[in-house]
Amino acid sequence: MSELANQLSELRGRFDAAVADAPDADTLEAVRVAFLGRSGEVTLLRRGIGQLPAAQRPAAGKTINAAVEVLEAQLLEAERRLATGNFDAELAKRIDVTFPAIAPLRGSIHPIRRVMDDICAYFERHGFAVVLGPEIEPDYYNFDALNIPPDHPARDGFDSFFLTDHLLLRPHTSPMQIRTMQQHKPPVAVVTPGKCYRRDAVDARHLYQFHQCEGLLVAQGIHFGHLKGMLTGMCRELFGPDQQVRFRPSYFPFTEPSAEVDTTCPVCHGLGGTCRMCGGSGWIELGGAGMVHPNVLSEMKYDAGAVSGWAFGFGLERLAIVRYDVDDIRRFVENEPDFLQQLA
Amino acid sequence: MRVPLAWLREYVDLPADAQAVADLLASIGFPVDGIRERPAISGVVIGRIAALAKHPGADRLQVGEIETGGGTRLTIATAATNVAAGQTIAVATIGAQLPHVKIERRKMRGIESEGMMISAEELGLPSEWFEDGIMQFESDLALGADVVERFRLADAVLDVDVTNNRADAMSMVGLARELAAVQKTALRLPDLANPGDRDDGAEAPIVSIESASCVRFVAQRFTGVRVGRSPAWMRIRLALAGQRPIDNVVDISNYVMLETGQPLHFYDDARIPNHHLIVRDAKRGEKLVTLDGVERELDPSALVVADEREAQALAGIKGGGASQVSASTSAVLLESANFDGARIRRTSAALGIRTDASTRHEKTLPLILSDYGAARAARLLVQSGATPFAPHAFGAPVAAMPAISFKTSEVKRLLGFDLAAGEIRGHMEALGFGVVQESAERLLLAPPPWRRDVTLGADVVEELARMAGYERIKSEIPQVFSHDIESRGYRLERTIARTLSALGYREIISCALHGARVFENLKRAGFTPSSPAVEVRNPLSEDQRYLRYALGPGLLEHFARSGEPARVFEIGHVFSDGDHPSEISTLAFGYSVAPVEEPPWRDTAFLRIMGDSEALVYALTGQRDYEVTPDVRNGLHPGKTAVLLVDGREIANVGQVDPRMTDAFGVAMPVYVCSISLDNIPDYRTPQYAPPSKYPSSYRDLALVCELGVRANQIERSIARVLGPLCVRVRVFDEYRGPGVGEGRKSITVRVTLQRADATITDAEADTAVAKVLSALGDELGATVRK
Ligand SMILES: [Zn+2]
Repeated sequence: MSELANQLSELRGRFDAAVADAPDADTLEAVRVAFLGRSGEVTLLRRGIGQLPAAQRPAAGKTINAAVEVLEAQLLEAERRLATGNFDAELAKRIDVTFPAIAPLRGSIHPIRRVMDDICAYFERHGFAVVLGPEIEPDYYNFDALNIPPDHPARDGFDSFFLTDHLLLRPHTSPMQIRTMQQHKPPVAVVTPGKCYRRDAVDARHLYQFHQCEGLLVAQGIHFGHLKGMLTGMCRELFGPDQQVRFRPSYFPFTEPSAEVDTTCPVCHGLGGTCRMCGGSGWIELGGAGMVHPNVLSEMKYDAGAVSGWAFGFGLERLAIVRYDVDDIRRFVENEPDFLQQLA
Repeated sequence: MRVPLAWLREYVDLPADAQAVADLLASIGFPVDGIRERPAISGVVIGRIAALAKHPGADRLQVGEIETGGGTRLTIATAATNVAAGQTIAVATIGAQLPHVKIERRKMRGIESEGMMISAEELGLPSEWFEDGIMQFESDLALGADVVERFRLADAVLDVDVTNNRADAMSMVGLARELAAVQKTALRLPDLANPGDRDDGAEAPIVSIESASCVRFVAQRFTGVRVGRSPAWMRIRLALAGQRPIDNVVDISNYVMLETGQPLHFYDDARIPNHHLIVRDAKRGEKLVTLDGVERELDPSALVVADEREAQALAGIKGGGASQVSASTSAVLLESANFDGARIRRTSAALGIRTDASTRHEKTLPLILSDYGAARAARLLVQSGATPFAPHAFGAPVAAMPAISFKTSEVKRLLGFDLAAGEIRGHMEALGFGVVQESAERLLLAPPPWRRDVTLGADVVEELARMAGYERIKSEIPQVFSHDIESRGYRLERTIARTLSALGYREIISCALHGARVFENLKRAGFTPSSPAVEVRNPLSEDQRYLRYALGPGLLEHFARSGEPARVFEIGHVFSDGDHPSEISTLAFGYSVAPVEEPPWRDTAFLRIMGDSEALVYALTGQRDYEVTPDVRNGLHPGKTAVLLVDGREIANVGQVDPRMTDAFGVAMPVYVCSISLDNIPDYRTPQYAPPSKYPSSYRDLALVCELGVRANQIERSIARVLGPLCVRVRVFDEYRGPGVGEGRKSITVRVTLQRADATITDAEADTAVAKVLSALGDELGATVRK
């Protein structure tokens, strides 16, 4: 080995140690100056080339250049390491990722509103407006305008809380259908969710205060099939993509023809058997519906021969019971934190 | 309505399976609430007691020789005491199956008994409705006849729901007619011709109709009436239909009502002077003892059937005791009448009497039924040996129903599917409608006399839908054309629910009706509601007498129940009764929270709910330039209450609930609430983007000393006004009271951030601006720089 090689080798040993020990960029810079600087050690070696025989000079120059390249690369690498830091300690950490999470401050929307919002969103997507209204309504809006004259037996179905002779807590949200039709000419497309009251003794299946969502569509060319289509879509939105809807003939003074609406029991998927939700029938009763009675349309000054429409009315507690498999309707007004949190 | 299938099958052929009949009924609008299966009974036959003797070995037993036809004689011991030789009875033979027992050969005190004489109970009938002991049959029954078969005891009973519009279908014949129509099978009607043809001359009944509420009244006299037990077949039918058998006259009236739907009433003819009945309004204070033995005081709102002296019946509801048919009655006067439904319903509701008759009459029965009812009663009375006189009808004649001109295109227009003219005709004729005229587009339909509910095209469409089957309605999504109806109120609620749930509040729904306890709590805390509460006239209980005047009490009750700190909100209407009951849509949210150690002039919990309130108001209005001012509110802490205004209009009030109130409601922690009247919320204004300055900003913290009454937002506003566009942000961030500040004064630290839009602000500029600020603060608010 030549002397130059020996010198280089010894230099690199010291260089390596100095680079490895450099704790920061300033020290590294000092190392660079000491070895590769204008009057650094490598420069001194290069000057020594002139003392060599001319034949050896080119080879010696090459050797030094190659060494410089290596040293510069080493410096670059060391610079990068100092700049980004050393992750070894961080990466060596191990935690128990199954440790209970830190819960955020969590609020919730009441399950009745969640059902209401989903229904309203569905109908809004199809061009319906959502209208709210008073809970105290005159009997005209609750009954007379709906083709239920005084002393009609159908009033039995609406056992209501009265405030005066003619003012009552609405037993359904139909008054908003009437108010909407009074204020707007067809086409009219609304859903009317809201609180209603009936004189029912409270038990696992009844509340005297409950929520309804009614729907009304009146325009030219609207028929019963459109109701079935919309309600099928609504049930699929609420309960799942396989829901079916069936109509059974019924009677309401404000619709003709009228129907009871059932949907596939989502608990047993229509299989029935010993299902406690549907009592084994495979169907869940949703509520009433029908084509708006010509007398109601005429009362609204609509031309019953030119426009037609449908209306429906469902109890939201009933839908929520089926959707969330709730055992007792009273849970919806008890507001137990556990209940609200589970359904949040 | 309880419908024994056996009875129904008399008029129409039906599937053997009860469920199949139930499905058929449901498919045409008569849902079946339940199917009552009959107990399995076999081996019971008709027998005659040929001989009866005392049991030689037992005082309490008798031994009968029972002929059961074909020369068979059975020796049967019984403990029953109502047996006698010659009676026709039912016996369970060896091997017979009864509801709870199988009959086997057995010895009764030494005598081999070859079966059992049976009571109504063993036939699965309510024993309390029949004679004690062994059930008695008529002697004309064939000996050995199978009792279950003869009386169709195995056939199930359906609970059928008949809707209010179908007064015509509240009967066996009515339902049979519907079933025949949908099946397109024959209807076997009972004989509806009145057999009464005798002229009663001077004895003819007279009915004076003095009220328009009586539309028609068929009166008919019968003599030779012998009041006694009805034949077994009728008693069994009535019992299966849920009607207790009484005696042959009462039973006939009930039977005919169930069969035809027409309620009847029989008067003891001897007790009606001159056979003269008067239908009139009751006199004020007039008394009537009804058949249930209750004396009722009437007023003119009630309609009565009276004789020339006094009321004898509550028309269409219940008969009276004075002219009641009794064992000694030999002549009866039949009433088969038609009344105005609304009038009957009013009286029935006012007096609290609902009967099978009133529930039918209140639906306003078809006039034709009054004739059918009289004819059927007459036929059955004749069968029991009575002599019928001719019926006399008073009031309106049975007129044809007005014809309906039906556009066949209505089917497609309302149902979405077409029916061929032939199918329309077939269905309507099956339902008893006459097709008077037929053209390409129209049918002129004559409704049958019992269908007063079908008057419009839509009614005809419903009939056709029922007959064709609702499953023919096909799902379709409608094209909804644009309209100008707004969803503002609902969207506001939706935004509130989303914002507050994101801020960690749980939505609750509490009861809007409450009892006096809320007011007692309020009173205990020293408060009264600002306006009178709305009161319900007919609450179910005292706990539901009042409509809530605010949401706060509901929140407090929730906090009291939950015990732990909680954060909730509720959206609902609150009510007050000024001149008249009124309501407003309201939001309340708040929390109960464990108290923390703080100086008395600081309340972090208040600042937090104010922060949530501001966040909500921004979400609802898109505006941040609201103003907060201290206020005093009923029920809130007098020193920790503020209102939040937007454009000078009050949007929200925020504060700690008065601790006396919290305590009265049983909440152990401080409670902070915000309430908002939704009607006050202005329209949402979409925020507009203002690009920030490219130049660096500079800030100064000013430590000020001022009077206690100077509010943080006064200082901020004052600074902002003085600095104008130079001020990008001003925020009070610390308050201190105590040593070094001086009595009656406080120290406030405020950070002011200054920036220029066109250049970097220099220190000199900033210092000049701050000097101006300090001078203004001194002039306007008496604030000085803290030394
Ligand atoms: Zn099910």
